[in-house]
Amino acid sequence: MSFISVENVSFHYDNNDPERLITENVIENLNMKVEKGEFLCVLGHNGSGKSTLAKMFNAMLIPTEGKVYVDGMDTSDESLCFKIRSNVGLVLQNPDNQLVASVVEEDIAFGPENLGVPPQEIRKRVDSALKAVDMYDYRKNAPYKLSGGQKQRIAIAGILAMEPRCIVLDEPTAMLDPRGRQEVMETITRLNKEHNITVVLITHYMDEAVLADRVIVMDRGKILTQGTPNEVFSQVDLLKEHSLDVPQATEICHRLKNIGVNIFELPLDEEGCVKALWEVLK
Amino acid sequence: MKDVVFGQYIPGNSLIHKLDPRAKLIFLVIYIVLIFCTFNFYALAIPFCLAILFMLLSKVPVKQYLKSMKMMIFVIIITSVFNLFYGGGKVYFTLGPLSVTEGGINNAIIIVSRIVCLLIVSAALTFTTSPTDLTDAIERLMKPLKVFHIKVHEIAMMMSIALRFVPTLLEETDKIMMAQKSRGANLDDGGLVKRAKALIPVFIPLFVSAFRRAFDLAMAMECRCYNGGKGRTRMKSLHLQKRDYFSTVFFVLIIAGVVLSDIFLPSVVR
Repeated sequence: MSFISVENVSFHYDNNDPERLITENVIENLNMKVEKGEFLCVLGHNGSGKSTLAKMFNAMLIPTEGKVYVDGMDTSDESLCFKIRSNVGLVLQNPDNQLVASVVEEDIAFGPENLGVPPQEIRKRVDSALKAVDMYDYRKNAPYKLSGGQKQRIAIAGILAMEPRCIVLDEPTAMLDPRGRQEVMETITRLNKEHNITVVLITHYMDEAVLADRVIVMDRGKILTQGTPNEVFSQVDLLKEHSLDVPQATEICHRLKNIGVNIFELPLDEEGCVKALWEVLK
Repeated sequence: MKDVVFGQYIPGNSLIHKLDPRAKLIFLVIYIVLIFCTFNFYALAIPFCLAILFMLLSKVPVKQYLKSMKMMIFVIIITSVFNLFYGGGKVYFTLGPLSVTEGGINNAIIIVSRIVCLLIVSAALTFTTSPTDLTDAIERLMKPLKVFHIKVHEIAMMMSIALRFVPTLLEETDKIMMAQKSRGANLDDGGLVKRAKALIPVFIPLFVSAFRRAFDLAMAMECRCYNGGKGRTRMKSLHLQKRDYFSTVFFVLIIAGVVLSDIFLPSVVR
C-alpha cells in the first residue's frame, strides 16, 4: 500500500479569506500516490496548487472534496490529526519563521515536547536529529546568528526529532543563496538514502527535481505529466508550452537535437551533457 | 541597533550560570525589595558587595555591565540631582530657594547606589540565564496561579517567542530603514515630531511583516503538533542542586545582615 494516497481531491479556499479572492478550485480532481521510501518531487510554478497540496499531506488543510489517506489514516478525521502530523513533517519556505526557541537544541526539542515524549528520550532524539543534518556543533547557538541554509537545516532537524516517516518540504530553498541551497539539498538526499525517510520536495527549481526518483509536474491544480526525471524532462516542448523550464543541460541538447544534431537521450546535468556531446563529436 | 546589551544572554559556564533559574528569579525579586529597605550605609554596603560578588562570579566581562548601565545614566543623574536638595541637616550651600544639605547628599548617595545595585543584579540575571530558562522558570513559579484560571503556559510561550523574535525584527527594522533611506526618506533630521512622522514608513512595513511572520510561525508550530500546554513534556527538567541550597542559605544570611543593621544602626535616610 502507498504511504500517502490522494483520491479525487478538489480544493478551494474560503471566500472570506482576504488574501485569496479566487473561488475557483486550486486543486482539481487530483489523484496521486506517494510510495514508502521514495524521493518524490512536485514541480510547478506559482499558483499551480503545489503548496496547497503539501499542506493537505499533513492535515493542515482538508480537501473540499475527495480524501487524502496517510498510512491508511483519513486526514479529515480530527482525532488523528496529531498522529498524522508526527508521521508527515512539513518544512516551510522561510526558515526564520519556523524556529520557535532562542537556542538551537531547545527549538529542536519543541516537536517531541509537544508529543509528550519523556525527557531522556527527547535528549537522544535531539542529538541524533542534529547529527543527521550535520549541525551538532551548533546545538547551543542562537538561531539568528546562523546562515539561511543552516537555519533551514535546523528546521528540518526540528521535524526529524518527531521521528516522522515522511518529510514534506515546501520550497525549502526558495529564500536561500546557492550555497545554502546545496547544503539543504545534500541533507534531503542523505535523509532519503541513508535514513530511509520518504521525501516529498515541492519546488520550482528544475535542477533540484533532477535528484528525485519521481517527478510530478503540476499546472493549475492538475497533474500535467509525471515519471522519472528522464521521462519528464524529455518532454521539453510540453513543459515550455506551460512556461516551465527544463535544466540547462537538457535545454542545450534539445536545441541541438532540433537543428539535427544526433543526440539520442537528453541529459539532465552538466556531466550527462558533456558525455552526450562527446558521443556526437567522436 | 544591534548593540542592545540589556537583557542579552551571554553563554557561559560560571556558578551563576549554573544556578537554578527559579532560584535566581526569586533572589532577584527579594534583592530588589531588600535594597529599597536599606536605610543606612552599613545596611546598603551588604547588598552592594553582593552585587559586585554576583558580577565577578558570573565571569561576564565588567565592560558588558557598564554598557548595560549606560542607557540608565540619565535616570541616575536626574534622581541624584533631585535628591541633593531633599533632606535636612547641615546646609552646605544655598541656590535660590534650594539648598544642598547633609541629608540630601546622603539621600543621593543611597538612591544612586540602590539603582546601580538594581541594574547590576538584574543584568547579572539576564546575562547568565537563557531566555528559555527564564520563561521556563516564570512558567513553573506561576503555576499556582492556574487556580485563578490564568493561562500560565500561554503567557510563558508568548514571552519566549517575543524574545526569540527580538533580534529578527531588529534586523528587519535596520533593513527597512536602509531601504527607505535609499529611496530618499529622511529619518535623521528635523524636530521630534518630524522625525516621529518619518518613522511611519518604517513601522508600517515592519508591522505587516511581523503579522506575516506570526501566521507562518503559527503554521509551523501546528506542523510540529503544538497543542497548548496539555500533555507537554520538557527536555530539560529543573532539579535543585546542592549549590542552589547553599546559595539560598547564603542569601538568607545576607537578608538577616541587612535587617539587623537596619534595626541596630541609625537611619540616615528620611
